[in-house]
Amino acid sequence: MKQILSLTVNNDTYEVAVSPWRTLLDVLRDDLGLMGTKRGCGSGTCGVCTVIIDGRAILSCLTLALECAGKSITTIEGISSPESLHPIQKSFIENGAVQCGFCTPGIVMTSKALLDEKPQPNDDEIKEALAGTFCRCTGHIKIMEAVKKASKQ
Amino acid sequence: MRLPRFEYVRPQALEEALSVLAQSGSRAKILAGGTDLLVNMKQRTVCPEVLVSIKTLSELLMVSSDAQGFTAIGSGANLTDLAANAGIAEKFPAFIQAVRAIASKHIRNMACIGGNVCLDTRCWYYNQSKLWRDARERCHRTGGSVCHAIKGAARCHAINSSDTAPVLVALDAKISVMKKGENRLIPARQFYCDDGIRNTILEPSAIVTAIHLPDGNGAGRSAFIKLSMRRGIDFALCSIAARANINGAGVTDVRLVLGSIASMPIVLEKAAQVIMEAGLTQSAIEKAGEVARTELGIITNLFTSAGYKRQLAGVLVKQALNELKGKTAKRGGAKA
Ligand SMILES: Cc1cc2nc3c(=O)[nH]c(=O)nc-3n(C[C@H](O)[C@H](O)[C@H](O)COP(=O)(O)OP(=O)(O)OC[C@H]3O[C@@H](n4cnc5c(N)ncnc54)[C@H](O)[C@@H]3O)c2cc1C
Ligand code: SF4
Ligand code: FES
Ligand code: FES
Repeated sequence: MKQILSLTVNNDTYEVAVSPWRTLLDVLRDDLGLMGTKRGCGSGTCGVCTVIIDGRAILSCLTLALECAGKSITTIEGISSPESLHPIQKSFIENGAVQCGFCTPGIVMTSKALLDEKPQPNDDEIKEALAGTFCRCTGHIKIMEAVKKASKQ
Repeated sequence: MRLPRFEYVRPQALEEALSVLAQSGSRAKILAGGTDLLVNMKQRTVCPEVLVSIKTLSELLMVSSDAQGFTAIGSGANLTDLAANAGIAEKFPAFIQAVRAIASKHIRNMACIGGNVCLDTRCWYYNQSKLWRDARERCHRTGGSVCHAIKGAARCHAINSSDTAPVLVALDAKISVMKKGENRLIPARQFYCDDGIRNTILEPSAIVTAIHLPDGNGAGRSAFIKLSMRRGIDFALCSIAARANINGAGVTDVRLVLGSIASMPIVLEKAAQVIMEAGLTQSAIEKAGEVARTELGIITNLFTSAGYKRQLAGVLVKQALNELKGKTAKRGGAKA
Protein backbone atom coordinates (compact mmCIF):
# COMPACT_ATOMS: atom_id res chain seq x y z
CA MET A 1 0.00 0.00 0.00
CA LYS A 2 3.05 2.25 -0.02
CA GLN A 3 2.98 5.16 -2.42
CA ILE A 4 5.94 6.95 -3.91
CA LEU A 5 5.89 10.51 -2.74
CA SER A 6 7.94 13.45 -3.89
CA LEU A 7 8.59 15.81 -0.96
CA THR A 8 10.29 19.19 -1.15
CA VAL A 9 11.96 19.92 2.17
CA ASN A 10 14.21 22.95 2.59
CA ASN A 11 14.41 23.22 -1.21
CA ASP A 12 15.70 19.65 -1.60
CA THR A 13 13.47 17.14 -3.33
CA TYR A 14 13.22 13.62 -1.91
CA GLU A 15 11.47 10.54 -3.29
CA VAL A 16 10.15 8.36 -0.51
CA ALA A 17 7.86 5.34 -0.36
CA VAL A 18 5.33 5.93 2.41
CA SER A 19 2.33 4.15 3.86
CA PRO A 20 -0.80 6.32 4.20
CA TRP A 21 -0.76 6.19 8.00
CA ARG A 22 2.68 7.80 8.33
CA THR A 23 2.71 11.43 9.40
CA LEU A 24 4.96 14.11 7.99
CA LEU A 25 6.78 14.02 11.34
CA ASP A 26 7.46 10.28 10.97
CA VAL A 27 8.87 10.77 7.48
CA LEU A 28 10.99 13.83 8.34
CA ARG A 29 12.61 12.12 11.31
CA ASP A 30 12.69 8.43 10.40
CA ASP A 31 13.14 8.50 6.61
CA LEU A 32 14.93 11.78 5.94
CA GLY A 33 16.92 11.88 9.18
CA LEU A 34 15.86 15.46 9.85
CA MET A 35 15.79 15.21 13.65
CA GLY A 36 15.45 18.94 14.34
CA THR A 37 11.67 18.65 14.25
CA LYS A 38 10.71 17.06 17.57
CA ARG A 39 8.12 14.49 18.54
CA GLY A 40 6.21 15.46 21.66
CA CYS A 41 2.56 14.91 22.49
CA GLY A 42 1.62 13.68 19.02
CA SER A 43 -1.82 15.16 19.57
CA GLY A 44 -1.71 18.85 18.73
CA THR A 45 -1.13 20.38 22.14
CA CYS A 46 2.61 21.16 22.35
CA GLY A 47 3.86 22.54 19.01
CA VAL A 48 7.33 20.96 19.12
CA CYS A 49 6.65 19.34 15.74
CA THR A 50 5.95 22.68 13.99
CA VAL A 51 7.14 23.12 10.40
CA ILE A 52 6.22 25.75 7.82
CA ILE A 53 4.15 24.82 4.77
CA ASP A 54 3.05 27.51 2.32
CA GLY A 55 4.10 30.20 4.80
CA ARG A 56 2.01 28.86 7.68
CA ALA A 57 3.07 27.13 10.90
CA ILE A 58 1.51 23.66 10.97
CA LEU A 59 1.84 20.58 13.17
CA SER A 60 3.68 17.75 11.42
CA CYS A 61 2.37 15.20 13.95
CA LEU A 62 -1.20 15.68 12.66
CA THR A 63 -0.36 15.96 8.96
CA LEU A 64 -0.33 12.89 6.74
CA ALA A 65 2.88 12.73 4.69
CA LEU A 66 0.81 11.88 1.60
CA GLU A 67 -0.98 15.22 1.88
CA CYS A 68 2.33 17.08 1.49
CA ALA A 69 3.02 16.00 -2.08
CA GLY A 70 4.01 18.98 -4.17
CA LYS A 71 4.21 21.35 -1.21
CA SER A 72 7.23 23.29 -0.08
CA ILE A 73 8.14 22.36 3.51
CA THR A 74 10.59 24.28 5.67
CA THR A 75 12.03 22.71 8.83
CA ILE A 76 14.41 24.11 11.43
CA GLU A 77 17.33 22.66 9.42
CA GLY A 78 16.37 24.87 6.49
CA ILE A 79 16.51 28.30 8.06
CA SER A 80 20.21 28.55 8.94
CA SER A 81 23.56 26.81 9.02
CA PRO A 82 25.82 26.24 12.04
CA GLU A 83 28.01 29.11 10.77
CA SER A 84 25.21 31.64 10.43
CA LEU A 85 22.19 31.35 12.66
CA HIS A 86 18.84 32.86 11.75
CA PRO A 87 18.18 36.22 13.52
CA ILE A 88 15.37 34.57 15.52
CA GLN A 89 17.75 31.87 16.75
CA LYS A 90 20.33 34.52 17.71
CA SER A 91 17.68 36.46 19.57
CA PHE A 92 16.61 33.31 21.47
CA ILE A 93 20.21 32.74 22.59
CA GLU A 94 20.86 36.37 23.48
CA ASN A 95 17.65 36.69 25.48
CA GLY A 96 17.92 33.45 27.42
CA ALA A 97 14.90 31.92 25.73
CA VAL A 98 16.52 28.46 25.47
CA GLN A 99 17.09 26.04 28.30
CA CYS A 100 16.85 22.32 27.47
CA GLY A 101 16.04 23.31 23.89
CA PHE A 102 13.45 20.62 23.20
CA CYS A 103 10.68 23.12 22.42
CA THR A 104 13.00 25.56 20.63
CA PRO A 105 12.83 24.30 17.02
CA GLY A 106 9.02 24.35 17.08
CA ILE A 107 8.87 27.78 18.68
CA VAL A 108 11.47 29.22 16.32
CA MET A 109 9.53 27.91 13.31
CA THR A 110 6.30 29.30 14.77
CA SER A 111 7.98 32.68 15.29
CA LYS A 112 9.43 32.64 11.78
CA ALA A 113 6.00 32.07 10.24
CA LEU A 114 4.67 34.97 12.31
CA LEU A 115 7.48 37.41 11.47
CA ASP A 116 7.40 36.49 7.78
CA GLU A 117 3.70 37.35 7.76
CA LYS A 118 3.84 40.32 10.14
CA PRO A 119 7.34 41.76 10.58
CA GLN A 120 6.21 44.04 13.46
CA PRO A 121 3.65 42.06 15.49
CA ASN A 122 2.14 43.48 18.67
CA ASP A 123 2.09 41.53 21.95
CA ASP A 124 -1.34 40.05 21.31
CA GLU A 125 -0.31 38.82 17.89
CA ILE A 126 2.82 37.19 19.33
CA LYS A 127 0.75 35.54 22.06
CA GLU A 128 -1.81 34.31 19.55
CA ALA A 129 0.89 32.80 17.34
CA LEU A 130 2.73 31.14 20.22
CA ALA A 131 -0.38 29.83 22.00
CA GLY A 132 -0.02 26.43 20.35
CA THR A 133 3.53 25.93 21.63
CA PHE A 134 4.65 24.82 25.02
CA CYS A 135 7.91 25.32 26.93
CA ARG A 136 8.35 23.47 30.21
CA CYS A 137 11.69 25.09 31.21
CA THR A 138 12.08 28.71 30.23
CA GLY A 139 8.63 30.08 30.72
CA HIS A 140 7.02 32.07 27.96
CA ILE A 141 8.07 35.59 28.98
CA LYS A 142 11.66 35.31 27.75
CA ILE A 143 10.45 33.63 24.60
CA MET A 144 8.08 36.52 23.95
CA GLU A 145 10.90 39.00 24.54
CA ALA A 146 13.16 37.12 22.15
CA VAL A 147 10.51 37.20 19.42
CA LYS A 148 9.87 40.88 20.05
CA LYS A 149 13.57 41.76 19.85
CA ALA A 150 13.99 39.67 16.70
CA SER A 151 11.11 41.60 15.14
CA LYS A 152 12.94 44.87 15.68
CA GLN A 153 15.99 43.75 13.69
CA MET B 1 1.42 7.60 19.38
CA ARG B 2 1.15 5.97 15.98
CA LEU B 3 -1.80 6.01 13.64
CA PRO B 4 -3.54 2.71 12.97
CA ARG B 5 -3.43 1.40 9.41
CA PHE B 6 -5.95 2.64 6.88
CA GLU B 7 -6.46 3.11 3.18
CA TYR B 8 -6.23 6.70 1.95
CA VAL B 9 -8.45 8.01 -0.84
CA ARG B 10 -8.34 11.50 -2.27
CA PRO B 11 -11.24 11.96 -4.71
CA GLN B 12 -10.86 14.57 -7.44
CA ALA B 13 -14.50 15.65 -7.39
CA LEU B 14 -17.38 15.78 -4.90
CA GLU B 15 -19.41 13.23 -6.92
CA GLU B 16 -16.50 10.78 -6.65
CA ALA B 17 -16.20 11.37 -2.89
CA LEU B 18 -19.93 10.65 -2.49
CA SER B 19 -19.59 7.40 -4.47
CA VAL B 20 -16.62 6.22 -2.41
CA LEU B 21 -18.53 6.97 0.80
CA ALA B 22 -21.67 5.24 -0.49
CA GLN B 23 -19.63 2.10 -1.21
CA SER B 24 -17.63 2.10 2.01
CA GLY B 25 -20.48 2.78 4.46
CA SER B 26 -19.37 2.88 8.06
CA ARG B 27 -15.90 1.50 7.18
CA ALA B 28 -14.93 5.00 6.00
CA LYS B 29 -14.44 8.36 7.71
CA ILE B 30 -14.18 11.78 6.15
CA LEU B 31 -10.83 13.48 6.67
CA ALA B 32 -10.83 17.30 6.56
CA GLY B 33 -8.02 19.05 8.46
CA GLY B 34 -7.54 15.94 10.60
CA THR B 35 -6.88 17.87 13.82
CA ASP B 36 -9.62 15.99 15.64
CA LEU B 37 -9.91 12.76 13.67
CA LEU B 38 -6.19 11.89 13.61
CA VAL B 39 -5.88 12.43 17.38
CA ASN B 40 -8.90 10.15 17.93
CA MET B 41 -7.38 7.54 15.63
CA LYS B 42 -4.06 7.69 17.49
CA GLN B 43 -5.99 7.09 20.69
CA ARG B 44 -7.91 4.27 18.94
CA THR B 45 -11.33 5.67 19.78
CA VAL B 46 -12.09 5.42 16.06
CA CYS B 47 -10.32 3.10 13.63
CA PRO B 48 -11.75 3.62 10.13
CA GLU B 49 -10.48 1.33 7.38
CA VAL B 50 -10.68 4.10 4.79
CA LEU B 51 -10.04 7.84 5.03
CA VAL B 52 -11.63 9.99 2.36
CA SER B 53 -9.74 13.27 2.14
CA ILE B 54 -12.01 16.14 1.12
CA LYS B 55 -10.28 19.38 2.00
CA THR B 56 -8.98 20.05 -1.51
CA LEU B 57 -12.32 19.48 -3.27
CA SER B 58 -13.01 22.74 -5.11
CA GLU B 59 -16.81 22.30 -4.63
CA LEU B 60 -16.29 22.71 -0.87
CA LEU B 61 -14.15 25.84 -1.01
CA MET B 62 -16.74 28.42 -2.14
CA VAL B 63 -17.76 31.37 -0.01
CA SER B 64 -20.66 33.28 -1.57
CA SER B 65 -23.82 35.28 -0.88
CA ASP B 66 -27.10 34.55 -2.61
CA ALA B 67 -30.22 36.58 -3.46
CA GLN B 68 -32.22 35.22 -0.49
CA GLY B 69 -29.75 36.84 1.91
CA PHE B 70 -27.82 33.69 2.81
CA THR B 71 -24.03 33.58 3.00
CA ALA B 72 -22.83 30.11 2.07
CA ILE B 73 -19.48 28.95 3.41
CA GLY B 74 -18.04 25.75 1.92
CA SER B 75 -17.18 23.11 4.51
CA GLY B 76 -13.58 22.97 3.29
CA ALA B 77 -12.97 26.63 4.19
CA ASN B 78 -9.82 26.93 6.30
CA LEU B 79 -10.24 28.46 9.78
CA THR B 80 -7.33 30.92 9.51
CA ASP B 81 -8.73 32.20 6.21
CA LEU B 82 -12.22 32.54 7.72
CA ALA B 83 -10.88 34.31 10.82
CA ALA B 84 -9.44 36.99 8.53
CA ASN B 85 -12.62 37.40 6.45
CA ALA B 86 -13.75 40.95 7.25
CA GLY B 87 -16.95 40.70 5.21
CA ILE B 88 -18.24 37.72 7.20
CA ALA B 89 -17.06 39.28 10.48
CA GLU B 90 -19.15 42.37 9.74
CA LYS B 91 -22.29 40.39 8.92
CA PHE B 92 -21.91 37.62 11.52
CA PRO B 93 -19.62 38.80 14.34
CA ALA B 94 -20.46 35.87 16.65
CA PHE B 95 -19.48 33.35 13.99
CA ILE B 96 -16.05 34.86 13.42
CA GLN B 97 -15.49 35.32 17.18
CA ALA B 98 -16.12 31.59 17.55
CA VAL B 99 -13.80 30.68 14.69
CA ARG B 100 -11.03 32.78 16.24
CA ALA B 101 -11.58 31.03 19.59
CA ILE B 102 -10.96 27.53 18.21
CA ALA B 103 -7.80 25.80 19.45
CA SER B 104 -4.51 27.47 18.47
CA LYS B 105 -3.29 29.29 15.39
CA HIS B 106 -1.36 26.15 14.36
CA ILE B 107 -4.56 24.14 14.43
CA ARG B 108 -6.61 26.85 12.71
CA ASN B 109 -3.95 26.85 9.97
CA MET B 110 -4.81 23.19 9.37
CA ALA B 111 -8.50 22.81 10.23
CA CYS B 112 -11.67 23.29 8.17
CA ILE B 113 -15.03 24.70 9.22
CA GLY B 114 -16.79 21.44 8.27
CA GLY B 115 -14.61 19.52 10.73
CA ASN B 116 -15.54 21.94 13.49
CA VAL B 117 -19.26 21.71 12.74
CA CYS B 118 -19.05 17.88 12.74
CA LEU B 119 -16.66 17.64 15.71
CA ASP B 120 -17.01 14.46 17.74
CA THR B 121 -18.20 14.86 21.33
CA ARG B 122 -15.58 14.71 24.05
CA CYS B 123 -15.28 13.23 27.52
CA TRP B 124 -12.41 12.97 30.00
CA TYR B 125 -13.05 9.23 30.30
CA TYR B 126 -13.09 8.67 26.53
CA ASN B 127 -10.51 10.99 24.92
CA GLN B 128 -7.54 9.16 26.38
CA SER B 129 -5.08 6.55 25.13
CA LYS B 130 -6.41 3.01 24.76
CA LEU B 131 -4.23 1.86 27.66
CA TRP B 132 -5.80 4.53 29.90
CA ARG B 133 -9.34 3.59 28.85
CA ASP B 134 -8.69 -0.12 29.23
CA ALA B 135 -7.80 0.42 32.89
CA ARG B 136 -11.46 1.26 33.65
CA GLU B 137 -14.76 -0.46 33.32
CA ARG B 138 -16.28 0.10 29.89
CA CYS B 139 -18.77 2.96 29.70
CA HIS B 140 -21.79 3.42 27.39
CA ARG B 141 -19.52 4.83 24.73
CA THR B 142 -16.93 2.04 24.81
CA GLY B 143 -19.44 -0.80 24.79
CA GLY B 144 -20.29 -1.01 28.50
CA SER B 145 -23.35 0.03 30.46
CA VAL B 146 -22.19 2.63 32.99
CA CYS B 147 -21.18 6.28 32.77
CA HIS B 148 -18.18 7.52 34.76
CA ALA B 149 -18.92 11.20 34.17
CA ILE B 150 -22.50 11.16 35.50
CA LYS B 151 -23.03 8.30 37.91
CA GLY B 152 -26.20 6.39 37.13
CA ALA B 153 -26.72 8.04 33.72
CA ALA B 154 -28.61 5.81 31.31
CA ARG B 155 -26.83 7.15 28.27
CA CYS B 156 -23.60 8.85 27.23
CA HIS B 157 -23.47 12.57 28.00
CA ALA B 158 -20.15 13.36 26.26
CA ILE B 159 -19.92 17.04 25.41
CA ASN B 160 -20.25 18.80 22.07
CA SER B 161 -17.18 21.07 22.30
CA SER B 162 -17.41 22.73 18.91
CA ASP B 163 -17.10 26.49 19.28
CA THR B 164 -19.14 27.21 16.17
CA ALA B 165 -22.03 24.80 16.94
CA PRO B 166 -23.87 27.16 19.37
CA VAL B 167 -23.39 30.04 16.94
CA LEU B 168 -24.96 28.11 14.06
CA VAL B 169 -27.98 27.37 16.26
CA ALA B 170 -28.19 30.98 17.48
CA LEU B 171 -28.06 32.37 13.95
CA ASP B 172 -30.61 29.84 12.55
CA ALA B 173 -27.99 28.61 10.10
CA LYS B 174 -28.77 25.82 7.68
CA ILE B 175 -26.41 22.97 7.02
CA SER B 176 -26.15 21.56 3.54
CA VAL B 177 -25.76 17.78 3.65
CA MET B 178 -25.17 15.63 0.57
CA LYS B 179 -25.08 11.94 -0.01
CA LYS B 180 -25.20 10.07 -3.28
CA GLY B 181 -28.36 11.17 -5.08
CA GLU B 182 -29.61 13.36 -2.24
CA ASN B 183 -29.05 16.97 -1.17
CA ARG B 184 -30.70 18.36 1.99
CA LEU B 185 -30.64 21.69 3.78
CA ILE B 186 -31.04 21.05 7.53
CA PRO B 187 -31.63 23.74 10.18
CA ALA B 188 -28.69 23.69 12.63
CA ARG B 189 -31.08 23.06 15.50
CA GLN B 190 -32.17 19.78 13.94
CA PHE B 191 -28.65 18.81 12.88
CA TYR B 192 -27.40 18.23 16.43
CA CYS B 193 -28.77 15.42 18.66
CA ASP B 194 -28.87 15.17 22.44
CA ASP B 195 -26.75 12.03 22.48
CA GLY B 196 -23.08 11.81 23.45
CA ILE B 197 -22.42 8.98 21.01
CA ARG B 198 -24.33 10.01 17.91
CA ASN B 199 -24.39 13.77 18.21
CA THR B 200 -25.44 14.73 14.69
CA ILE B 201 -27.98 13.32 12.27
CA LEU B 202 -25.19 12.66 9.72
CA GLU B 203 -25.06 9.21 8.18
CA PRO B 204 -21.57 7.80 7.50
CA SER B 205 -22.03 8.24 3.75
CA ALA B 206 -23.04 11.92 3.98
CA ILE B 207 -20.86 15.00 3.61
CA VAL B 208 -21.55 18.46 4.99
CA THR B 209 -20.89 20.56 1.91
CA ALA B 210 -21.60 24.05 3.27
CA ILE B 211 -23.16 26.08 6.03
CA HIS B 212 -25.63 28.82 5.16
CA LEU B 213 -25.87 31.84 7.45
CA PRO B 214 -28.96 34.05 7.04
CA ASP B 215 -28.59 37.84 7.02
CA GLY B 216 -30.79 39.95 9.26
CA ASN B 217 -32.58 38.80 12.44
CA GLY B 218 -29.96 40.69 14.40
CA ALA B 219 -27.10 38.53 13.05
CA GLY B 220 -25.02 41.66 12.60
CA ARG B 221 -25.35 42.29 16.32
CA SER B 222 -24.61 38.76 17.50
CA ALA B 223 -22.02 37.85 20.13
CA PHE B 224 -19.99 34.81 21.18
CA ILE B 225 -18.18 34.41 24.50
CA LYS B 226 -16.09 31.42 25.57
CA LEU B 227 -14.67 30.61 28.95
CA SER B 228 -11.87 28.05 29.20
CA MET B 229 -9.13 27.22 31.70
CA ARG B 230 -6.48 28.71 29.39
CA ARG B 231 -7.32 31.39 26.85
CA GLY B 232 -4.62 30.47 24.34
CA ILE B 233 -5.56 26.89 23.53
CA ASP B 234 -8.34 24.99 25.23
CA PHE B 235 -11.80 23.61 24.82
CA ALA B 236 -14.49 25.72 26.49
CA LEU B 237 -15.86 25.03 29.97
CA CYS B 238 -18.94 26.75 28.61
CA SER B 239 -19.60 29.14 25.76
CA ILE B 240 -22.54 31.27 24.68
CA ALA B 241 -23.79 32.52 21.35
CA ALA B 242 -26.44 35.24 21.42
CA ARG B 243 -28.39 37.37 19.02
CA ALA B 244 -31.22 39.86 19.48
CA ASN B 245 -33.40 41.40 16.81
CA ILE B 246 -34.29 44.89 17.90
CA ASN B 247 -36.89 46.96 16.14
CA GLY B 248 -37.08 50.52 17.40
CA ALA B 249 -37.56 50.21 21.16
CA GLY B 250 -38.83 46.62 21.16
CA VAL B 251 -37.01 43.32 21.09
CA THR B 252 -38.70 41.12 18.48
CA ASP B 253 -36.50 38.05 18.77
CA VAL B 254 -33.81 36.81 21.16
CA ARG B 255 -31.74 33.66 20.96
CA LEU B 256 -29.40 32.48 23.71
CA VAL B 257 -27.49 29.23 23.09
CA LEU B 258 -24.96 27.56 25.37
CA GLY B 259 -22.16 25.46 23.92
CA SER B 260 -19.66 22.93 25.35
CA ILE B 261 -21.85 22.05 28.32
CA ALA B 262 -23.98 19.17 27.03
CA SER B 263 -24.14 16.73 24.11
CA MET B 264 -25.75 19.39 21.93
CA PRO B 265 -25.99 23.19 22.01
CA ILE B 266 -28.65 24.20 24.57
CA VAL B 267 -31.22 26.80 23.55
CA LEU B 268 -32.27 28.80 26.65
CA GLU B 269 -35.95 29.41 25.91
CA LYS B 270 -36.99 30.71 29.33
CA ALA B 271 -34.11 33.16 29.72
CA ALA B 272 -34.81 34.48 26.22
CA GLN B 273 -38.50 34.87 27.11
CA VAL B 274 -37.56 37.22 29.97
CA ILE B 275 -35.86 39.56 27.49
CA MET B 276 -38.68 39.22 24.94
CA GLU B 277 -41.13 40.46 27.56
CA ALA B 278 -39.08 43.18 29.25
CA GLY B 279 -36.51 44.21 26.64
CA LEU B 280 -32.78 44.62 27.21
CA THR B 281 -33.14 46.43 30.53
CA GLN B 282 -30.65 45.95 33.32
CA SER B 283 -33.17 44.24 35.59
CA ALA B 284 -34.32 41.89 32.82
CA ILE B 285 -30.70 40.96 32.04
CA GLU B 286 -30.13 40.10 35.73
CA LYS B 287 -33.29 38.03 35.80
CA ALA B 288 -32.41 36.21 32.55
CA GLY B 289 -29.09 35.20 34.13
CA GLU B 290 -30.91 33.74 37.14
CA VAL B 291 -33.42 31.90 34.98
CA ALA B 292 -30.65 30.42 32.82
CA ARG B 293 -29.08 28.69 35.84
CA THR B 294 -32.22 26.74 36.57
CA GLU B 295 -33.03 26.05 32.94
CA LEU B 296 -30.09 23.72 32.32
CA GLY B 297 -30.88 20.01 32.42
CA ILE B 298 -28.43 17.33 33.57
CA ILE B 299 -24.83 18.53 33.36
CA THR B 300 -21.60 16.79 34.30
CA ASN B 301 -19.12 17.46 37.07
CA LEU B 302 -16.21 17.13 34.64
CA PHE B 303 -13.39 19.66 35.23
CA THR B 304 -15.58 21.79 37.50
CA SER B 305 -18.62 21.03 39.61
CA ALA B 306 -22.05 21.15 38.02
CA GLY B 307 -22.93 23.96 40.44
CA TYR B 308 -20.05 26.06 39.14
CA LYS B 309 -21.17 25.42 35.57
CA ARG B 310 -24.70 26.57 36.37
CA GLN B 311 -23.27 29.73 37.88
CA LEU B 312 -21.07 30.18 34.82
CA ALA B 313 -24.04 29.80 32.48
CA GLY B 314 -25.85 32.61 34.32
CA VAL B 315 -22.80 34.86 34.14
CA LEU B 316 -22.29 34.20 30.44
CA VAL B 317 -25.95 34.97 29.71
CA LYS B 318 -25.59 38.33 31.45
CA GLN B 319 -22.31 39.12 29.71
CA ALA B 320 -23.70 38.25 26.30
CA LEU B 321 -26.87 40.30 26.82
CA ASN B 322 -24.84 43.27 28.00
CA GLU B 323 -22.67 42.95 24.92
CA LEU B 324 -25.77 42.94 22.69
CA LYS B 325 -27.09 45.94 24.59
CA GLY B 326 -23.78 47.79 24.12
CA LYS B 327 -23.83 47.07 20.41
CA THR B 328 -27.38 48.35 20.21
CA ALA B 329 -26.48 51.57 22.00
CA LYS B 330 -23.54 52.10 19.66
CA ARG B 331 -25.77 51.73 16.63
CA GLY B 332 -28.44 53.95 18.12
CA GLY B 333 -30.94 51.07 18.27
CA ALA B 334 -30.93 50.75 14.51
CA LYS B 335 -33.11 48.12 12.86
CA ALA B 336 -31.55 44.76 12.03
C1 LIG C 1 -5.08 20.68 21.10
C2 LIG C 1 -6.43 20.84 20.46
C3 LIG C 1 -7.27 21.88 20.86
C4 LIG C 1 -8.52 22.06 20.29
N1 LIG C 1 -9.30 23.08 20.71
C5 LIG C 1 -10.53 23.28 20.15
C6 LIG C 1 -11.35 24.35 20.57
O1 LIG C 1 -10.97 25.16 21.43
N2 LIG C 1 -12.58 24.48 20.03
C7 LIG C 1 -13.03 23.62 19.08
O2 LIG C 1 -14.17 23.79 18.62
N3 LIG C 1 -12.27 22.59 18.64
C8 LIG C 1 -11.02 22.41 19.14
N4 LIG C 1 -10.24 21.35 18.71
C9 LIG C 1 -10.81 20.35 17.81
C10 LIG C 1 -10.51 20.55 16.31
O3 LIG C 1 -9.16 20.90 16.11
C11 LIG C 1 -11.38 21.62 15.68
O4 LIG C 1 -12.70 21.44 16.04
C12 LIG C 1 -11.26 21.64 14.15
O5 LIG C 1 -12.04 22.69 13.64
C13 LIG C 1 -11.67 20.36 13.49
O6 LIG C 1 -11.59 20.54 12.09
P1 LIG C 1 -10.77 19.53 11.14
O7 LIG C 1 -10.89 20.04 9.75
O8 LIG C 1 -9.39 19.33 11.62
O9 LIG C 1 -11.63 18.21 11.36
P2 LIG C 1 -11.29 16.66 11.18
O10 LIG C 1 -10.46 16.19 12.31
O11 LIG C 1 -10.77 16.38 9.82
O12 LIG C 1 -12.77 16.07 11.31
C14 LIG C 1 -13.51 16.12 12.51
C15 LIG C 1 -14.73 15.20 12.39
O13 LIG C 1 -15.66 15.72 11.46
C16 LIG C 1 -15.87 14.84 10.36
N5 LIG C 1 -15.94 15.70 9.18
C17 LIG C 1 -15.02 16.62 8.79
N6 LIG C 1 -15.46 17.31 7.71
C18 LIG C 1 -16.68 16.81 7.41
C19 LIG C 1 -17.64 17.11 6.41
N7 LIG C 1 -17.45 18.07 5.49
N8 LIG C 1 -18.79 16.39 6.39
C20 LIG C 1 -19.02 15.42 7.31
N9 LIG C 1 -18.16 15.09 8.29
C21 LIG C 1 -16.99 15.78 8.34
C22 LIG C 1 -14.70 13.89 10.40
O14 LIG C 1 -15.02 12.63 9.85
C23 LIG C 1 -14.41 13.81 11.88
O15 LIG C 1 -15.28 12.92 12.50
C24 LIG C 1 -8.96 21.17 19.27
C25 LIG C 1 -8.11 20.14 18.85
C26 LIG C 1 -6.86 19.96 19.43
C27 LIG C 1 -5.97 18.84 18.96
S1 SF4 D 1 -20.12 10.70 29.22
FE1 SF4 D 1 -20.13 8.74 30.34
S2 SF4 D 1 -20.65 7.21 28.77
FE2 SF4 D 1 -20.04 9.07 27.67
S3 SF4 D 1 -17.84 8.81 27.26
FE3 SF4 D 1 -17.99 9.93 29.22
S4 SF4 D 1 -17.96 8.30 30.77
FE4 SF4 D 1 -18.39 7.29 28.82
S1 FES E 1 4.04 16.66 18.81
FE1 FES E 1 2.83 17.79 17.41
S2 FES E 1 1.79 19.17 18.72
FE2 FES E 1 2.89 17.97 20.16
S1 FES F 1 13.59 25.07 26.76
FE1 FES F 1 13.03 23.15 27.64
S2 FES F 1 10.97 22.94 26.98
FE2 FES F 1 11.43 24.93 26.31
